[in-house]
Amino acid sequence: MSRRKRVLVIGLDCAPPELVFDQWRDELPNFKRVMDNGVWGKLESCIPAITVPAWSSMMSSKDPGTLGFYGFRNRGDHSYEKHVLANSNSVKTDRVWDVLSRAGKKVITVGVPQTYPPKPVNGIQVGCFLSPSTTNKERPYTYPASAMQEIEATVGEYLVDVPNFRTEDKEYLLRQIYTMTEKRFKLVKKWIAEKDWDFFMFVEMGTDRIHHGLWKYHDPNHHKYEVNPKFNNSIHDYYRYIDSEIGQLLDLVDEDTTVFIVSDHGAKKMDGGICVNEWLIREGYLTLKNQPTSLTSIEKCEIDWEKTKVWGDGGYYARIFLNVEGREPRGIVKPSEVEALRNELKAKFEAIVDPAGENIGTTVYKPEEVYHEQRGVPPDLIVYFGDLLWRSIGTVGHGSIYSFDNDTGPDDCNHAQFGIVIKHDPDAHEGTGGRELTGLQLMDMAPTILEQLGVPVPADMQGKAF
Amino acid sequence: MANTGFTIWFTGLSGSGKSTLSEIIEQRLRERGRNVEVLDGDIVRTNLSKGLGFSREDRDTNIKRIAFVCGLLTRNGVICISAAIAPYHEAREWARKEIGNFVEVYVKCPIDVCRQRDVKGLYKLADEGKLKGFTGVSDPYEEPEQPELIVETDKETIEESVSRIFATLEELGYLEPEELHEDDAKVVTDRLAALGYL
Repeated sequence: MSRRKRVLVIGLDCAPPELVFDQWRDELPNFKRVMDNGVWGKLESCIPAITVPAWSSMMSSKDPGTLGFYGFRNRGDHSYEKHVLANSNSVKTDRVWDVLSRAGKKVITVGVPQTYPPKPVNGIQVGCFLSPSTTNKERPYTYPASAMQEIEATVGEYLVDVPNFRTEDKEYLLRQIYTMTEKRFKLVKKWIAEKDWDFFMFVEMGTDRIHHGLWKYHDPNHHKYEVNPKFNNSIHDYYRYIDSEIGQLLDLVDEDTTVFIVSDHGAKKMDGGICVNEWLIREGYLTLKNQPTSLTSIEKCEIDWEKTKVWGDGGYYARIFLNVEGREPRGIVKPSEVEALRNELKAKFEAIVDPAGENIGTTVYKPEEVYHEQRGVPPDLIVYFGDLLWRSIGTVGHGSIYSFDNDTGPDDCNHAQFGIVIKHDPDAHEGTGGRELTGLQLMDMAPTILEQLGVPVPADMQGKAF
Repeated sequence: MANTGFTIWFTGLSGSGKSTLSEIIEQRLRERGRNVEVLDGDIVRTNLSKGLGFSREDRDTNIKRIAFVCGLLTRNGVICISAAIAPYHEAREWARKEIGNFVEVYVKCPIDVCRQRDVKGLYKLADEGKLKGFTGVSDPYEEPEQPELIVETDKETIEESVSRIFATLEELGYLEPEELHEDDAKVVTDRLAALGYL
């Protein structure tokens, strides 16, 4: 019987190299099993290092500018009001499973970010955490729709994400994360064993959610670190649990299957937040008609556009927009002044200090310097405050440019630029512990997968197979 | 693109599922606020092509008439769905050129399955020799060489075929993907805000 090469991709959102490759390497025997005889290394994320656009960048091998979305929510045009959620409808290019489907390969994807609404594939697509509902048959979160019943019969109520994430009740949060993860692995194990597939990929979001929810108990260097025997090992124990689940998956795949473990970005402690719009107000770039007395999102503030040159969006990083004459409806920055203003802002952002007067090490990116193309409506600048040790806070009403309480509820962790990748190709023999690779980037994943399955790599993919 | 007219040109054996797909797609397109006209082979033969038989010449004439009407409507922003067997390659290519915005969908289904379905009892008549010139039995069917899409109705559910047709229309730029319903958008936006992404 001829050999049938298959590929299994285990996605762990936010899994950082420091934990998997360094700190807990000897405690994660099944990660190690994949590393043995394989290759592994840090995987550089895109800019911005955030779930959307990162997973689509990885699976299409195109940078966010070429994809035309720069975060979860993007400006729909140059008006002030129109915003578009970047779900699967925003992805106008092929991702790996589209290419494979056309090549006649059977594919299954479960929970890969930006797969809601699910699109037809040659197999099954289960929507991601952008699915509004798992029960609405009118707007199914799976393709084919019949997979909804199959999932329910297997795991009961399927969880695309952790409900009520912003809770101080960490025991509840942990229970929810485990419940979600157990259900996903149960489904994945069943389908790996029972379905016909050449390419199987799933993404577990629990790794990201546990980092954001419990990092302060994990990292003794966190400014809010607390000794709490209940939670100090919760992230460690969860990784041990994930490792055991991966072990069960590995037992289910045959010797012709190449296995990847991959993350979209890493994780690091969060030192605090920079209130980007407060800062812009203070520096004279942004003017509000009324200063709010309580925390208010910038969209709900009445901006005096005739006196505003710049505004920003919050999130794990900042997106900065200039109010340009002839581009925005009430723009006041002359097009000839845009470049000088961007340079001025870049210099000022990079000079931001913490409350003790220490420079926090901010990096500012100009889209044209980091993307091949700029489709959609790109921000004029992208800002990593303190190399992502500080998040961007978009709300106004803090009375300070610093905040040590997140404006959307407790969050202890920010994203880091490097995630992980491990590739175990049964045909490779790299020895015990495998071989470390350097210089890998998200976009290298899609061509590598296609090459493994003997499918030609489209010429417009920007990454290189490894 | 908002109201670009185009024609979905189904082709396939009798009983392959053209009319069923047409009905569902027509309804979904109307729900999106589009003007849609279905030219079903059986119905066309009772009016527009009344009196035509099933000779090669008459079949070609029938297809050309359907294509002519589709072309007129397509030019005026209507979405046309042609659901005739359209067995000959040459006539389909003529229709493609005549219409322009043309999406050929081959509704593929083995003749044995179509025969089993035999919704109109035509296969029975053809097999008994009571119906002459019946496509697939006593008349040829030329498979499309490069249709925009092939749906295999013996292997996929109607819902899957419909999803694939809509995905193709979106990929080809004839339709915009549907925006999230307002209540769904709120659920997702609130979730993303709670997760700290916004």
